[in-house]
Amino acid sequence: MATRKTTTGTPRGASSGTTGSARTADVRDAVIVGGNRIPFSRAGKRYADASNQEMFTAALEGLVARFGLQGERLGEVVGGAVLKHSRDFNLVREAVLGSSLSAQTPAFDLQQACATGLEATINVANKIRLGQIDSGVAGGTDTISDAPVAVSEGLRRALLAASHATTLQGRLKALARLRPVDLKPLTPATDEPRTGLSMGEHQAITTARWGITRDAQDEVALASHQNLARAWDSGFFDDLVTPFRGLTRDDNLRPDTSLEKLASLKPVFGKSLASSEATAGPTMTAGNSTPLTDGASTVLLASTEWAEAHDLPVLARFVDAETAAVDFVHGHEGLLMAPVHAVPRLLARNGMTLADFDFLEIHEAFASTVLTTLAAWEDADYCKNELGLPGAFGSVDRARVNVNGSSLAAGHPFAATGGRIVATAAKLVAQRAAETGETARALVSVCAAGGLGATAIIESV
Amino acid sequence: MTATGPTTSAGDPLGVETLPSLPGLGGLYARGAASSGRIAAGRALPNLPVIGQAREPDDGPPVLPGVAYRVTGVETGGLATHLRDYQRLLHEPVSDVMPAGYLHVLAFPLATAVMVRGDFPLPLLGMVHLANEVEHRGPVRVGDRLDVRAWAENLRPHRRGVQVDLVAEVWPDGGADRPVWRGISTYLARGFDLGDGAAGAAGADDRPERSERSERAPAGTWTPPLPTGRWALGPGTGRAYGAVSGDRNPIHMSALAAKAFGFPRAIAHGMYVAARALADVGTARGDAYRWTVEFGGPVLLPGTVDVAVTPVAEPGTPAAGFRYVGWNARHGRLHFEGGVVPLGP
Amino acid sequence: MTDSYTRLVNTGLTKTLATRLGLPRPAVLRRHRPGEPLTVGPVLVVSDAASKTDADALAQTLLGWGTDVRREPSDDARWGAVVLVVTEAARPTDVSDAVLAVGSVLRRLAPHGRVVTVSRAVAEGDSPELAATRAGVDGFLRSLAKELRAGATGNGIVLTGGAAADSTSALATLRFFLSARSAFVDGQLLPVGPAPAGADEAPVDDDRPLAGRVAVVTGAARGIGVAIAKTLARDGASVVCVDVPAAGEGLARTANAVGGTALQLDVTADDAGARILEHARSRHGRLDLVVHNAGILRDKLLANMTPEQWDAVTAVNLAAQLRINAQLLDAGVEGLRIVSLASIAGIAGNRGQTNYGFSKAGVIGHTRATAPLVARLGGTANAVAPGFVETEMTRRIPAVTREMGRRASSLQQGGLPVDVAEAVAFLASPAAAGVNGEVLRVCGQSWLGR
Repeated sequence: MATRKTTTGTPRGASSGTTGSARTADVRDAVIVGGNRIPFSRAGKRYADASNQEMFTAALEGLVARFGLQGERLGEVVGGAVLKHSRDFNLVREAVLGSSLSAQTPAFDLQQACATGLEATINVANKIRLGQIDSGVAGGTDTISDAPVAVSEGLRRALLAASHATTLQGRLKALARLRPVDLKPLTPATDEPRTGLSMGEHQAITTARWGITRDAQDEVALASHQNLARAWDSGFFDDLVTPFRGLTRDDNLRPDTSLEKLASLKPVFGKSLASSEATAGPTMTAGNSTPLTDGASTVLLASTEWAEAHDLPVLARFVDAETAAVDFVHGHEGLLMAPVHAVPRLLARNGMTLADFDFLEIHEAFASTVLTTLAAWEDADYCKNELGLPGAFGSVDRARVNVNGSSLAAGHPFAATGGRIVATAAKLVAQRAAETGETARALVSVCAAGGLGATAIIESV
Repeated sequence: MTATGPTTSAGDPLGVETLPSLPGLGGLYARGAASSGRIAAGRALPNLPVIGQAREPDDGPPVLPGVAYRVTGVETGGLATHLRDYQRLLHEPVSDVMPAGYLHVLAFPLATAVMVRGDFPLPLLGMVHLANEVEHRGPVRVGDRLDVRAWAENLRPHRRGVQVDLVAEVWPDGGADRPVWRGISTYLARGFDLGDGAAGAAGADDRPERSERSERAPAGTWTPPLPTGRWALGPGTGRAYGAVSGDRNPIHMSALAAKAFGFPRAIAHGMYVAARALADVGTARGDAYRWTVEFGGPVLLPGTVDVAVTPVAEPGTPAAGFRYVGWNARHGRLHFEGGVVPLGP
Repeated sequence: MTDSYTRLVNTGLTKTLATRLGLPRPAVLRRHRPGEPLTVGPVLVVSDAASKTDADALAQTLLGWGTDVRREPSDDARWGAVVLVVTEAARPTDVSDAVLAVGSVLRRLAPHGRVVTVSRAVAEGDSPELAATRAGVDGFLRSLAKELRAGATGNGIVLTGGAAADSTSALATLRFFLSARSAFVDGQLLPVGPAPAGADEAPVDDDRPLAGRVAVVTGAARGIGVAIAKTLARDGASVVCVDVPAAGEGLARTANAVGGTALQLDVTADDAGARILEHARSRHGRLDLVVHNAGILRDKLLANMTPEQWDAVTAVNLAAQLRINAQLLDAGVEGLRIVSLASIAGIAGNRGQTNYGFSKAGVIGHTRATAPLVARLGGTANAVAPGFVETEMTRRIPAVTREMGRRASSLQQGGLPVDVAEAVAFLASPAAAGVNGEVLRVCGQSWLGR
């Protein structure tokens, strides 16, 4: 069991939050029909000049083709991008209009950092369960390569002032305020706005607090690559991925990586912690952290009736979901620990324990995210003080975690990860149930910037 | 003056000189120039002393002028834009409530005016800001009429010279039994003594030895905690705060000017980093709080400062305030530390 | 679409120049557009005396299709087509008058005109005279086709098994040969038998003969596969588009263009047939047609051939078709139509294509052998053998070889993917139930092979 170093500050009661009510019988099922994504590509490579809209449209078109949805008016298409250009104010709707779906298919954008794709799935599933729609697509897309570049605050304000000015003189006066430094473009940062620390630095702190070792992280990374490679080779993704721009597989995948190779990489995060209270040196490398990635994903959800009427298969039921957020700003909790809080609430509401799950899909923002999540659930003190549980939440058989690889190997185009995981989990439980004849379940956990986390239960039908 | 005229913290009465407006600010901002977001308070101050200016040795022991400057009826209605610029720069939420650091900026020219009086015994430039302490008793909003006072007090020895407190107070105009804001800025004038043999003596000051250039102090003497934040401070940080605060001390403005004063590069304003830390505490500080800071090694610009802003509380009790500390992310050397403690009503 | 040489010699100054220089001037072929007339002018139906009844019946049908039908040659017409009916001719001399009547109107055959012979196949027990007469039509037609110009083609219907000249399948074949759908089919004689018992015979002039049918097209991501999917969809079919996962992007494009579904599947997978059937049935309710279009090239002289190159071609082009057919037959799919893509390389052979030639000749072989097996379930198995077709694949052939490939045919040009697709759609149509075990060449009467 990992030891958690004490921190300044006091634990706050976690049991005070409401946990919602258990699944009610008068809500119908939302089922996952299938998914489609494009292969994920490391930033600046194959999709270097692909826009978010192009990638999301491609993912959507692959889904339409797989399920013969041409001209179909779906209930809703919901998705988003974390890094979004202002011209993409209606990104998902524009993708729908550029797709083979009926132009009468409504759409909207949402954004919850790295949880965007899962939150979109939750939204679509909820609408279906409430009977507001019969079918819908959830997804997300992100590009680092084609990320919006903003102008400086000074230039932005000057341009706005100039455009608001009614006279030429007024415009010139507004622009005269510009200084050379204002002309420097701002590239998007993934730093937390309130702390100025990058996600990697935040996780380095969490990693240090939980005493997660470099070796353990490298083992997670190795397993991710090996599992994803095996899944690809076995054809698992044949009906989950459609190639794009000539790329047929996730190009971050390194099937031949090894612990030796991973061990040779230099730490990139937490280097300044070497002199701090943290005892271990920096442990997080490019090998056990997800790379910046481009890609898009989609999931088709429906009511059981709609799927039947359209002769479509049903992989799984989207059972329930829970989001959480943690107070990370003053270091009380790790930035990426929100799913640790969400899952106990989710499982309690559904009368389940960790032992009820055949698969755990824990988004590998970093290898240590998986490890700190599992360690926290095993720590009785932490679970009592932070989660308001009577004792340790439970242990998980590591063989059930990310069995077909996750973000370390596949890459992580922020908003696209949720769709990748949901489709993967749905297919996993469908396959397992077909083998065993018994209900199979997957727990999905996605951490996100801003101390956010989204989790969900997916169950075979 | 009324019977409740200013006294020093020790209770010594002070003479009062009422100025027609806040130097540098009253004139500039009231005329709406605030929209430019750039203040030139320094320019409005007469006869800035030059570096190295020293009193003649036979002038006798230095004595503070026993006078307080006061400006009454300070209108703040025109400060909305300036306040917004300050709030954006310091990462404060934009509102019409003035953060404690902003009131420091507001009162700063008056305190500076005290220090540039002909009978002020120490030179303005070259003085080192050792610490700052603010008691902020309640919200001050744009539009409030204020009564601002400033004086110097508590001249005392320091092992490297003498130190002095510049006290500034902001009162609601039209009567109250205490100031709504009171700030004490402690400065060190190096190489001076009080003529009583105390200067330079060990133990002459009970403050920790932080005024030294910590950049030159041996590493490893202090272990930073896990950070909660990181500030990437650009080369223009000093200029930007100088523009908003009016404190255009050359050591903040450019590397070249800073070199003239013995710094390798421009350094960040102490009150800038302290105010950033105050902003980091966020809404938990409430409307009334005590805000303190002690400065360590200067923050060279550009630079990266790791900070830990952490709640102070006994286990099981609500947070009793925040401690904060900032250090150099690369060397782990201390830049500043302080606290923000909510005050009762 | 049309190659640039053909475009040049048919437009403007370069057309004049090419005419003066006597350069070959391939015609821009007339291709099917919905709503356009079947033929470009009146149809002359001629026959020998004994075949007059059949000729009358065909003329009657042609009238029903809205064509201007004449029974006597005349000089006032610009003929859209000539149909020579010699089904009942018994002696070589019987056909003379009819054949010469055809000859008398050839100069007035309109560009894109058609000559179609209707004859009977040599059968066991035929007298030498009868056999000679029937066989002679073959040589006559192939030679005549080579005399035709300006996009005109000559093809023949060879009735087998006692099929009537106006049987549904014969009429469907006649309509196909007369129409612009057979633009690049030239010099071919297609045996047409009676439809097997249980095969539903359908109207031959249906615009959407495949309505309600579910078709699977392999290799549908690009090239000829795309055209086949689109043509089948145009004819009313729901199309399951199959290609390897790596070709998924193009596959999705095809599926969305035809309103079908995309199935990313390697046809060499052990369970490919079962998965195709499962997909078609679960998603579309049934399976009526499989087009084995997926194929690869790994050209190498045999002396330099690696096992990988040989095996890959055999696996994809031949073994996969065999395995899928076997699985579909095992599943007892009623009325299944199978159309396999063979190649002229499988008939005439190509240097550097021993592997490809083996696989494509193998396709012809298994098609003939599969025909009776699938006939028991009311289905058919046929093959289409394209000649030189303008595709991404042939664009990569070296320029000189490519140019020779194009010009070495009666139509002096390469075909388009849609020409192959039209032949597939014809063979897949319900009315073509009497065509079984045959190989239809779509080659512009290539000089290669028969």
